[in-house]
Amino acid sequence: MSGASWLSYSLQDFMMFGPEVFLRLFVRVNQALWPWLLVWPLAAVLLPWLGRKTAELPRRLAVALVGLGWIGCGYFFLVRYYGPVNWPATGFGWAFVIQGLLLLMLKGRALPGPMAWPVVVSWWLAVLLLPWLSVLEADDIRALALFGVAPGVTVAASVLLFARQPWPLKWLLLMLPLVWSLFSAATYWALGTFWLLGFPVAALLLFVIALRVNPSPVQSPGSQSVRPGPEHQWP
Amino acid sequence: MLELSRRRFLIGVGLSGLAVASPRLLAVPPSSGDQAFHTRPIPSTGESVPAIGMGTWITFNVGSDQYLIDQRTRVLETFLAQNGTVIDCSPMYGSAADVIGAGLDKLGAHDRIFAATKIWTSDGSETREQATTSERRWGIDRFDLLQVHNLLAWQEHLATLKAMKAEGRVRYIGITTSHGRRHGELARIMETEPLDFVQLTYNVLDREVEERLLPLARERGIAVIANRPFQGGSLFRRFQSEPLPSWAAEAGIGNWAEFFLKFIISHPAVTCAIPATTRVEHMQENMGAMYGQLPDASQRRKMADYVRQL
Repeated sequence: MSGASWLSYSLQDFMMFGPEVFLRLFVRVNQALWPWLLVWPLAAVLLPWLGRKTAELPRRLAVALVGLGWIGCGYFFLVRYYGPVNWPATGFGWAFVIQGLLLLMLKGRALPGPMAWPVVVSWWLAVLLLPWLSVLEADDIRALALFGVAPGVTVAASVLLFARQPWPLKWLLLMLPLVWSLFSAATYWALGTFWLLGFPVAALLLFVIALRVNPSPVQSPGSQSVRPGPEHQWP
Repeated sequence: MLELSRRRFLIGVGLSGLAVASPRLLAVPPSSGDQAFHTRPIPSTGESVPAIGMGTWITFNVGSDQYLIDQRTRVLETFLAQNGTVIDCSPMYGSAADVIGAGLDKLGAHDRIFAATKIWTSDGSETREQATTSERRWGIDRFDLLQVHNLLAWQEHLATLKAMKAEGRVRYIGITTSHGRRHGELARIMETEPLDFVQLTYNVLDREVEERLLPLARERGIAVIANRPFQGGSLFRRFQSEPLPSWAAEAGIGNWAEFFLKFIISHPAVTCAIPATTRVEHMQENMGAMYGQLPDASQRRKMADYVRQL
């Protein structure tokens, strides 16, 4: 097919499914993982507590939790549930799993210093407020989009951590969130599920916030609200 | 024009007798399932099919969601109850084939349908394999109609489909396009290949096919399936808030679904239109177009003019 011919299609022409099918994915995944899915929002809320530790091990655990979240939402939401109605989602799902494994392999290097307070607050806002976008869109509390389960919240919150990494790790980690955000924004626009556009928009905003917030104490000592304690271990 | 089927005649005779014995029974209006409905002959064999079929693009792609599978099964049940038979799908439609299969299983309706799907792969050697996979997903032994989807690798697929038809592996073969694309190439194929069916986009706004393809189909004895009869739903979004024309009832039109569908199936070259829906009540409206009077040529012109001026 020629390039001009492709341009004659609208976004809607590429949609294989309707909004009802997509919104019910949130409900179905939550029902399937109940009650174990409660572990994820709990972990997401507590993650900054680990992330603000100056000791390396808690921060490694924080990154491991993010990695597990990516694996969980990649496999369950994208591969198992979304993939059968939208083929690209299967590819994205496996990419999410690989990104999660990558985070596990980094063993904490993705969080080189304690999380700054603006990042912590942004993280909490992301994991506590963004889940309600799908509830607003579906008009169903069961459609809550949880961190580690739903890709939109998982990506938006994770961007806060990825954006603060040194080059080239930063762009390696941000590549998939960027592509996913573009893909999902196009999908939500075509579906007419406009509340869900809040996910990619939030990811973009959090990326900007992460870039503007002072870097970790490793890179900018003295500029952090974290007061290094005796267990200060970074160079 | 209302067609007088044998079924309708016998019902009429029976009701005449009952009218004497029990006038109260006649106060109950018959459901549309009991009425004569519009059918069209497939030119290559003369076999008749109902003029309204069912598309499944988007609407039947619900994955493994059992709630929605059950709901779509009710849509399918309504379609069959209203005398629908032609169901069209494609391997491109995600899980739609599995959902059709689940519905047919639940309703025990595999032998009540005219099963149509497409071959959709750029690998010209996979025709038979993909047809077999689709048969398994639908739960049927063979398709009534296999079509090359959007002219994709059509030379290779069509050659295999012709062989499959000769072997009795499929009853009819065809080729499809949509969104008004590649009409020139489709016309050349229609002129040279022994097709039973073509599928193309035709609705009250997308009427380019009236120029060349529909006359060519009549000339060559090719059945025509009209896809996107509601232009992907946009006709409803644009016109549903508008009133039907004052003369709609004279043309046998009671709602917008009938307006759009009767416009299509009243074209003499069209065999069948395949609207898709997720809702039982919309299916009932769609199937309503298969009953009652159809607009004549002058009324069709008025219909096209009316939507153009809205």
